[in-house]
Amino acid sequence: MTGQLAPEFPNIYEIWVYLSGSPLLALILTLGAYQIGVIVYGRANRHPLANPVLIAIVLVAATITLIGMPYPKYFEGAQFVHFLLGTATVSLAVPIYKGLSAMRGRIAPLLAALVAGGLTSIASAVGIARMLGADSTIVGGFVAKSVTAPIAMGIAERIGVSPTLTAVFAVSTGILGAVLARFVLDAVRSREWWQRGFAIGVAAHGLGTSRAFSVNAEAGAYSSLAMGLHGVLGAVLIPLGARLLGL
Amino acid sequence: MISGLVQILLFQGLGELVTHFLLPLIPGPVIGLILLLGFLALRRSVNASLDEVASTFSQHFGLLFVPAAVGVVMFWPHLKAHALAIAAALVASVVLTIAVTALVLKALSPGSLE
Repeated sequence: MTGQLAPEFPNIYEIWVYLSGSPLLALILTLGAYQIGVIVYGRANRHPLANPVLIAIVLVAATITLIGMPYPKYFEGAQFVHFLLGTATVSLAVPIYKGLSAMRGRIAPLLAALVAGGLTSIASAVGIARMLGADSTIVGGFVAKSVTAPIAMGIAERIGVSPTLTAVFAVSTGILGAVLARFVLDAVRSREWWQRGFAIGVAAHGLGTSRAFSVNAEAGAYSSLAMGLHGVLGAVLIPLGARLLGL
Repeated sequence: MISGLVQILLFQGLGELVTHFLLPLIPGPVIGLILLLGFLALRRSVNASLDEVASTFSQHFGLLFVPAAVGVVMFWPHLKAHALAIAAALVASVVLTIAVTALVLKALSPGSLE
């Protein structure tokens, strides 16, 4: 009997070949993993360590390793999600525009703090990594890591370092910033919410910003302003700096 | 929602054109962002549809860099070999960046002298 039934059901292997040939599998994997991440984040009371992006990255990386799907193959399907990064970057104009009216009268201190913070971020990460013997591929990934990930990846392409490593370091930085910010800010006795928020946004971009919003609305607004300004200034100044220094 | 998306895509396209023909050093989406910002400043308002699209994107920004970050699997052996240097650089850098930014703000803000 089984012999007669078999031809009516395409075997698993055929289904697999069909599915893995279309972008659908990679898309389901990406969005499904992110959905799981969002659920876990909610269950963990939005604890910064249960970051949904981190969870999604780990789940997708583990899955494609397990099923033996090469990364370029995965990316072929997932590129539709990746493409929207550029679109999302353009849409950052809206929170920046809304934040601009709030920053009148504070422009000078904010810009000075942004430049100081941005330079500290690059110098400390690159310096420490070099000192501890990391090679140039890794050191390159640190240059743009405090800039919001989509812009950071664009900068990485411009200065000839790995966009992937840059994205991974940017996400890690965002998570660390979200976790550590409160302790650092208390240690340096920063008390005003707008100052605390801005500092988080400069150092830890989008992930820090969503953390800041969950603590205080003013901190969140200043954090998103910092993230946007850091992105724009970084995109203009980092490639110029890299060219001047001959990197 | 749709008209906001069309607006953003148009500015993204404009940004790509400017990058390609005039300013190859700056990523296209950043030019698009700056142009859209200029447009909003001229109009002095954000229409509801644009606002909706922008807040949807900012809520789920993280999802969009999953595909690129999964590329970490290709660097895995490399990252493991330098794990200490990477961890030290990431932690120290984020702590210093937050501290320096907050201290500069405190020092330069009027009325913050204790």
